[in-house]
Amino acid sequence: MAASSSAPFFGLADTQMPPQNPNPPLLQAPSPAAAAPAQKKKRNQPGNPNPDAEVIALSPRTLMATNRFVCEVCNKGFQREQNLQLHRRGHNLPWKLKQKNPKEARRRVYLCPEPTCVHHDPSRALGDLTGIKKHYCRKHGEKKWRCDKCSKRYAVQSDWKAHSKTCGTREYRCDCGTLFSRRDSFITHRAFCDALAQENARMAPPIGAGMYGGVGNMTAAALGLTVMAANQMPSGFPDEAAGHPPASAGEVLRLGGSNGAGVGASQFDHLMSSSSASSMFRSQGSSSSSFYLGNAAHHAPAQDFPENGQSQGGQGSLLHGKPAAFHDLMQLPVQHQQSSNGNILNLGFFSANNGGAAGGQDGRLVFQDQFNSSAGNGTGASSNGGIVTSGGLAGNHLGSAGASFPSLYSSSESAGGLPQMSATALLQKAAQLGATTSSYNAAGGGAGSLLRGASPHGISAGEGPSHERQFHDLLMSGAGFGGRVFSGASGFGSVDDGKLSTRDFLGVGGVLHGMSGSAAMGPPRHTAAAAGLHIGSLDPAKLT
Amino acid sequence: MVQDEGSSSSVTSSPLHNFSNMPLHPAVASSTTPLWMMRELRSDERGLCLIHLLLNCAGAAAAGRLDAANAALEHIASLAAPDGDAMQRVAAAFAEPLARRALRAWPGLCRALLLPRASPTPAEVAVARRHFHDLCPFLRLASAAANQSILEAMESEKIVHVIDLGGADATQWLELLHLLAARPEGPPHLRLTSVHEHKDLLSQTAMALTKEAERLDVPFQFNPVVSRLDALDVESLRVKTGEALAICSSLQLHCLLASDDDVTAAAAAAGGEKERRSPESGLSPSTSRADAFLGALWGLSPKVMVVTEQEASHNAAGLTERFVEALNYYAALFDCLELGAARGSVERARVERWLLGEEIKNIVACDGAQRLERHERLERWARRLEGAGFGRVPLSYYALLQARRVAQGLGCDGFKVREEKGTFFLCWQDRALFSVSAWRGRRFD
Repeated sequence: MAASSSAPFFGLADTQMPPQNPNPPLLQAPSPAAAAPAQKKKRNQPGNPNPDAEVIALSPRTLMATNRFVCEVCNKGFQREQNLQLHRRGHNLPWKLKQKNPKEARRRVYLCPEPTCVHHDPSRALGDLTGIKKHYCRKHGEKKWRCDKCSKRYAVQSDWKAHSKTCGTREYRCDCGTLFSRRDSFITHRAFCDALAQENARMAPPIGAGMYGGVGNMTAAALGLTVMAANQMPSGFPDEAAGHPPASAGEVLRLGGSNGAGVGASQFDHLMSSSSASSMFRSQGSSSSSFYLGNAAHHAPAQDFPENGQSQGGQGSLLHGKPAAFHDLMQLPVQHQQSSNGNILNLGFFSANNGGAAGGQDGRLVFQDQFNSSAGNGTGASSNGGIVTSGGLAGNHLGSAGASFPSLYSSSESAGGLPQMSATALLQKAAQLGATTSSYNAAGGGAGSLLRGASPHGISAGEGPSHERQFHDLLMSGAGFGGRVFSGASGFGSVDDGKLSTRDFLGVGGVLHGMSGSAAMGPPRHTAAAAGLHIGSLDPAKLT
Repeated sequence: MVQDEGSSSSVTSSPLHNFSNMPLHPAVASSTTPLWMMRELRSDERGLCLIHLLLNCAGAAAAGRLDAANAALEHIASLAAPDGDAMQRVAAAFAEPLARRALRAWPGLCRALLLPRASPTPAEVAVARRHFHDLCPFLRLASAAANQSILEAMESEKIVHVIDLGGADATQWLELLHLLAARPEGPPHLRLTSVHEHKDLLSQTAMALTKEAERLDVPFQFNPVVSRLDALDVESLRVKTGEALAICSSLQLHCLLASDDDVTAAAAAAGGEKERRSPESGLSPSTSRADAFLGALWGLSPKVMVVTEQEASHNAAGLTERFVEALNYYAALFDCLELGAARGSVERARVERWLLGEEIKNIVACDGAQRLERHERLERWARRLEGAGFGRVPLSYYALLQARRVAQGLGCDGFKVREEKGTFFLCWQDRALFSVSAWRGRRFD
């Protein structure tokens, strides 16, 4: 590069040199140019694994200087030393082309001297001297060249030339029919053009729209509240609903689609067995439990759910969300009461098709309690239950509500499991079976009806004591549920463990065939023992 | 199900091991049970049987006990079905890899049988991947998050260079084009360099994207790079010094973990498969290729690098660990597919056979340099990336909202986006299946 070969140059024609120094970039006297940091050479951090370039910061003057290399004979200026040398040949002057030594030459990158520029940062340094010159000139230089057809100005002559070639040759037409010759005005127009608004809304709906959905029959107050709610939403977004509510207990949040109920309703129906859902709702009736469903994507016609918001008016409208288990939706229980102090939180807990609340989700229980206590008017408090949050929902089975909420949803439980369990649920069950048998052995005797038949089954307990205790507790807690004996050797309960989050998919309290009655146990076990055929490394001796 | 992170294997595998040691259902255990009686099994009983059999078979295959493996496979074959319920399909997908694994003791048989049987062609794989995209939202969520991250990093940049290490999926870039075109300050000049093994897929992508860019009036340039990732020369990416660079890697980096070290180790393992309890914590020599690659990427000085990987540890040395992990992981995926598609759906069958099935086959039946599907959890990737000089960039809240909106728009609960320390975990029913994280090249700090 030109810069590197200044030494021979200096030897040649000092008189012709302009007073300022087209120096080697390595040594720069501070130039009077404005805003230029000292022409320091920044070294990279040593020991970087990658071959790093040398970072060079030139002064603006140096960058803008053109024709630093001048022929002594004819005073013709050249940007590069090599060009000057070649020119000197024509004058029959001694010339020397200096080769760049490939071994020594280090990769150089250049910084823009303008501190506000992106390329001022060493990590964005440009790799080419000509490039940085043009960049500086273009971005931070004076725009001296002007296009005649349009009003664009350019600092670099080549840019200007390139532009004038294409200026006016291209036309843009908006969908609404307006013609543009300039791209920037075209783009500006499109941003506001009505014809495109629809399409844009479909393609990349802004989050705001998602929040508010259709305005529908919201009151202005509701709108205001909605805004507030929307702003509040972020705070409530953690997966555990538990964290959120007390802060916003005072707010009535109205979020959701145009018909909040409608949206929720449709989705709910879509997702859950409708009977239980609707019965749930009707029982709640005016007590309008509501869950917030923050989804704008669903537009549904209003369903049968009464829109209490209208009747209430005032404070804000109600959110009628279906309490289905929607992941990551803000499960904000919102309750709007006649008293309209907006402080009532009515939590509906729905054993959505994802099974009941697990006992392990203690956060929700706590949450519920908070709300219960804070719900001044106990209207519709009967419907309180846990809050369905997104977490802890496993499978898509209509399952029993967990033991934690027996009062609420016994009606909504569908007895008996679905014919098909998901693979993950099966794996959980298997793990649990494996765990419980071992722990049962250790516990010895276990929970009453559950493992009665399995007592002598001597599977070696693989778990440590902590596991055993844990499972033991689980078994104890699950004792109330009917267990199901599988393979005649062990049973298990619908233990709700925060860790395993298993559910009794086969129904709470439901007695299934092959149950844990010891009588029923007998024959299968004996058969198993008699058959004696076991795959794997089971030791027959372990069976009785 | 709540999947225990961290010490996953030890907790779940021992219960499952115990389970596998339990006596089988008498109807199945007895080989003299007529077939019709076996069908009497309820689906969950059958499912549990299948799990039992699979675990035992895996243990037998790992230990080289072919008779036991054979017996188990026989039973599995009668119970599993590629068009049955979720567990049956999982079992069907695992049965073949298990058989292959067991047969490794007899390489002659292996060669004779397996070579002619074609793996799916690249076109089939691409089709399967597209179906997977449609049926399961995970990759869509990941690309939404990635695009958002790129958009935010490139705010106010006039020229953006994006490197796509994953190759040929056009939809993410179509969306990025839309996002960029909708920027208030107007779209930047977008240069997209796509790395993929197969040329034709690249050209298809090129055509689709160029057309769309033309329509949106976004200055766009597509540079295809036909290369395998482990043979990639970063020079060929033509990154200009100082430009705003974004790198996107979607389920690609784990292939690089198949290192030379493993090959020699596998050769050294005497005789059949021993379950080596070597800890999963990365031994430094075994990750040299991946580290070198990451280092090269770091040298490009990207403004943002978005990494999407499977959130599972399928890189343990021992088969049983891997098997149990894989069983849990793919069971979740199969469940998810179950919801997304109807029973006899051809698309789902393709995904399960040509995409997931191939992954499972690779995880279970292959070893050494051939085992490319070396999924690892995010914590290990994070360590690697940090070791290579990257710093974590938390994914923005807005990206989270976007991803969640996509998830909700699917009309099916079960898909969840969990955010943790700036990383997204895309979950199915609380089991994290994919992780999306963003990184920046730390330099001159």
